[in-house]
Amino acid sequence: MKKSYLFIGCLFLLVSLQGVAQEVALKGKELFGDISARQIGPALMSGRIIDMETHPTNAQVIYTGTAGGGVWKSNDGGASYAPIFEDHIQSIGQVAVDPTDPDQTVWVGTGEIWTRNSVSIGAGLFKTTDGGSNWKEIAGFENSERISGIEIHPKDGNVAYVGVLGALWSDSDDRGVYKTTDGGDTWKKILYVDNTTGVADLIMDPKNPNVLYASMWEFRRTAWNFNSGGEKSALYKSTDGGATWNKIHTGFPAGKLGRIAVAVAPSDTNRIYAVIESEKDEDKGLYVSNNAGSSWEKTNGDFGLTVRPFYFSRIVVDPKNPDILIKGGLSGSISRDGGKTFKALGNMHSDIHDFVFDIHNSDIMHAGTDGGVYRSWNGGTTMEIVGNLPLSQFYHISVDNAEPYRIYGGLQDNGSWYGPSSSPGGIEARDWVRVGVGDGFRVLPHPTKEILYSEMQGADNVWRYDMERNYTKNVKPLPVAGYDDLRFNWNPPMATSTHQPDRFYMGSQFLHVSEDMGDSWKIISPDLTTNDPAKQGKNSGGLSADNSGAETHTTIFTIAESPIDEKVIWVGTDDGNLQITKDGGENWKNVVANVPGLPANTWVYHIEASVHGKGTAYAVFDGHASGDMKPYVYKTTDYGASWKDITSDDLTLFARNIQEDYENENLLFLGAEDGLYITVDGGANWSHFTNNFPPTAVHFIDLQKQTNDIVCGTHGRGVIIVDDISVLRSVTPEILEKKVHFFDAKPGIMVEEGGFGGGSTELQFVGPNPGTSVAIKYYLNKRHTFGKMSLEIQDMDGNLITELGAGKSKGINIVRWNYSEKPPKLAAAKTFALGGFTAPRAKAGMYKAVLKKSKDTYETTFEIKNDPNSFISSPERKAQYDTTRDLMKEQEDLAYLVYELDEMVKAATSLKDTDAKATKVAQALIDELTALKETLVVTTGDNYVGTAPLQLREKLSAIYADVAANFEAPSQPQLDNIKLLTDRFDDAKTDFAKIKSKQFAKLEKYMAKNNVPALSIDSLEDFLKAK
Amino acid sequence: MKTIKLLVALFIAAIAFPTQAQTAEEIVANYHEATGGEEAWKSIKSMAMTGVAGMGPQEFPFTQIVMADGRMQTSIDLQGQKFVPQAFDGEQMWGTNFQTQKAEAMDAEASAQYKAESKDVIDSFIRYKEKGYSLKKLEDKTVEGTDCFTIKLTKKPIVVDGKEEENFTTFYFDKETFVPVMSESTAKSGPGKGSTAQTVYSDYLEAGDVYYAHNIITKFNGQTGQSIKIEKIEVNTDIDDAIFKMPQQ
Repeated sequence: MKKSYLFIGCLFLLVSLQGVAQEVALKGKELFGDISARQIGPALMSGRIIDMETHPTNAQVIYTGTAGGGVWKSNDGGASYAPIFEDHIQSIGQVAVDPTDPDQTVWVGTGEIWTRNSVSIGAGLFKTTDGGSNWKEIAGFENSERISGIEIHPKDGNVAYVGVLGALWSDSDDRGVYKTTDGGDTWKKILYVDNTTGVADLIMDPKNPNVLYASMWEFRRTAWNFNSGGEKSALYKSTDGGATWNKIHTGFPAGKLGRIAVAVAPSDTNRIYAVIESEKDEDKGLYVSNNAGSSWEKTNGDFGLTVRPFYFSRIVVDPKNPDILIKGGLSGSISRDGGKTFKALGNMHSDIHDFVFDIHNSDIMHAGTDGGVYRSWNGGTTMEIVGNLPLSQFYHISVDNAEPYRIYGGLQDNGSWYGPSSSPGGIEARDWVRVGVGDGFRVLPHPTKEILYSEMQGADNVWRYDMERNYTKNVKPLPVAGYDDLRFNWNPPMATSTHQPDRFYMGSQFLHVSEDMGDSWKIISPDLTTNDPAKQGKNSGGLSADNSGAETHTTIFTIAESPIDEKVIWVGTDDGNLQITKDGGENWKNVVANVPGLPANTWVYHIEASVHGKGTAYAVFDGHASGDMKPYVYKTTDYGASWKDITSDDLTLFARNIQEDYENENLLFLGAEDGLYITVDGGANWSHFTNNFPPTAVHFIDLQKQTNDIVCGTHGRGVIIVDDISVLRSVTPEILEKKVHFFDAKPGIMVEEGGFGGGSTELQFVGPNPGTSVAIKYYLNKRHTFGKMSLEIQDMDGNLITELGAGKSKGINIVRWNYSEKPPKLAAAKTFALGGFTAPRAKAGMYKAVLKKSKDTYETTFEIKNDPNSFISSPERKAQYDTTRDLMKEQEDLAYLVYELDEMVKAATSLKDTDAKATKVAQALIDELTALKETLVVTTGDNYVGTAPLQLREKLSAIYADVAANFEAPSQPQLDNIKLLTDRFDDAKTDFAKIKSKQFAKLEKYMAKNNVPALSIDSLEDFLKAK
Repeated sequence: MKTIKLLVALFIAAIAFPTQAQTAEEIVANYHEATGGEEAWKSIKSMAMTGVAGMGPQEFPFTQIVMADGRMQTSIDLQGQKFVPQAFDGEQMWGTNFQTQKAEAMDAEASAQYKAESKDVIDSFIRYKEKGYSLKKLEDKTVEGTDCFTIKLTKKPIVVDGKEEENFTTFYFDKETFVPVMSESTAKSGPGKGSTAQTVYSDYLEAGDVYYAHNIITKFNGQTGQSIKIEKIEVNTDIDDAIFKMPQQ
């Protein structure tokens, strides 16, 4: 025993030493505990798809790699998909299934490869060997940014080739083709051109793994220009497993080349297709080789083939027929004559990036578009969207003050929308309302009216939309005399005012203000940009003109009017100017030179004018469009005269947006390329929020003031909400040192609503609701693992109301109570009665939450309130409550009576079975009790169509369930019905008492006389306690 | 005395296996040591558990009898009626149809799937080698706010919808207490097929000579699904073999 004490002493010493060594930091996963995000989609417009892949032998399995939403796997032939890559960066370039272990081994190359202006970045190469449950990063590709090809040897999964397209906005030595022969442990770069030329396509001959084709592409994007093509773009072939490479250009057009798509027909590997971007327009198009690339012949130069090579450069050949091929494009084109002629595919979202054919039936195909995955059952003639891919790519998000609040935002190539933060049955596709077309960006609700502003790319249209009248007016600012032509960003800034509800700002190179919701405009600034002509070129695209307006630069990008002083307005520009006026636009000052450590001309992505001080603001700068991936986040409290860097080493990638808390100045939310970060100490420490929040790019964050919800517009996973972050306001180092700390609970509101939702099929995405339960929040400094732990709700006198499952994580735990007490205990019967599943609602008032943790008890108090919007009076509410309780009691009294009755029958039966002489007295009792019971509860039938006529229990239970579920007082018909049933019960009680006093008394007498132990009946209290 | 034994076991484990250097086998050995010892686990022939299962706001008292040989019966009491949502007799899964209140056999694939894992009902890791399972240590992870070892337990493949699939579960062992605090597995069928569900373990309490999680919660996408609170566990009591057999109508 002494030994044990010694051991225990040592153990405590060990534990306490560990305790000393631990520093309490306001960061880490444990800070958030089980605060979990809510992904609400939407999925009805889905988002951009980069890559589609099939399993080589199982047609049920399909993978899709998405632009900003990770990797999704279908196990049902494309009917639905589930995410399998939730812990890593969500921008995907290539998914590859290992043909030697297709059920388990899958490779993912990150970084999307259709290099539009708004692409996210990747973070290397990953591999799973268990079908996607666990992923391992493969070392060596950390700086690859974009992986365009992964080819795996069909007989030896250790041999693989990876094509790195590489950095979009800067030089990179990481570009090229790499080879491993040990499953990814070591790599050799086997093809490299230079630091501007990356791998656009990497293809292995399906029948000869030593034959490889690699198209190398010279390309570069800046914030103001895109260049595709140059002297170094070329198509290479290796016939020796990548040891040597040769250009295969016989028959290729002369001059510079751009992006080249290449595909080998699986059923005839001498047939190679290449779509070539070339210097001369007449040379662009599809080239075919029938001798494995030795020579080429152009077959077609249609628009569908040559359109936007940087965005559409994928050819897919039917696995069974070398003459059937599909080319990505604006609509997608299919040829059935070996590429001589093409027709457009069926109607689906435009901008088609990749396809797969079903491995057994080529009439079935799956297409990846800017608007999700579509499937066809008839060779591409008609297409239908997959309904459960919430990949929507928001550029911006805003919320209003409706109840429930609505979320507004614009999406890449998917217009503008608003939808509710909760909806009966969940947030369904049908809950979302379209309020703009084209590419959608910012959508702002009018502060007081049912009006919103939305826009499309480059402010081609700026709509003022009357939500009540479904009426739209284009109110875009137009060029005026005395000013240059307007330059609007692709993602044009707009802002409203908290001081003047009808005020509406827009930014070109000038700041425009309207005091009448856009009907008229006034310019209140000079050109606030650098107006650098070198960044205002009109010809973007390189070998293929691509003047969409996406590269319009030297524009205003963010506008913020101070919520404290309407004369203080901040403006940030995409070319790095940070401007402020303190007099409503009379005078402007560029304060960017005061920002320490910021490279010149770094894009001002967001300015947040603070509620905590007139001169306080936050600025987020984003240099990724010049290859600078570092985060730049600053705070000023003196109108920009000085700035403090509020980043920490916890942030690894660039950020775009910051949202301050309205109450705690030190609580900040940062939208980064790899997700959401939160600080509770003003930026000294940042923590990555990953609870049901994948590392997708967060483009914009808003904080809803009534609910304290953080609403994130992500560029790949739709809207993600962290409900009610108010608990983070009170996190301090002192709290983190306590064993248990209860946070003040916001009063729970028993919302009086009842309705029906649920119009979606099981293949459609439905976003979860936040619920209306009261949330009890507490911090545990250690995870509770050994010993009992429970959370009781008690009234203020300590009576148990109900018990809830306690959260036991280290960190913040949230336990919700839906205001239900325990349901009544019903009489035993043959079938179910509804009332047994209906719990009565608690009364408004104060309650205690009591945490019992092993031998310790901790408690807090909280309030629950009736719905402030209710039309129900207090007396009515009391009548509902009292009647519910009366009916509870009636049912439990009935349950007890039936229990007593059953026990008597049991005793009589037992006696009869063991003592023949007792038959007379026992059988008479059994007969009378059975006859009575048949009027009290259902004793025959089943729970479906064999149901028996309802008896007293079932009828009492039904009226109880009706009354308990209502908020109003019971109606007169209900009261009449209750009277009818309780009278019947009274009669039954009388009958039962009579039986007890006569037949049962006889039995008892017989038992006593024959020394049979008397029947023992539990008290009502014990009966109700028993489970 | 049990508590002292546990603390001693924890201490020995902490000394014997510095947390950074542990292999998968050591982590599992540590877990068994910390919860009563491998022999104590192996001596369990049956467990009879009673408790409350919760699904949303609804709660159902339940009884679950599990046998080391894989047989199992779960029953719940609803308004005076006893239902068997699922039972396994060693070969066949069956359960009560809630409409007709009669027992029905589950499909052959469900029975085969259950059978493949049936000897895990008491503990997945006991005799894992004999069962043909393998362990693999993966990257450490923070789970439930606490630092954990990650162990992948690969079982024998099972047939799902006519196709053989690999079958494994990932367990997260708390580095401080050595017991699993969470496991993750992939939904094998239905519309959520391929999605990951979590099972969270807490309230480790004595059950005979071992410590057993008395609170088990399943989660999906951060939302709680089913919650099981075990109130009593009886080990190696007499069990009527008849309860596992599907009643004949």
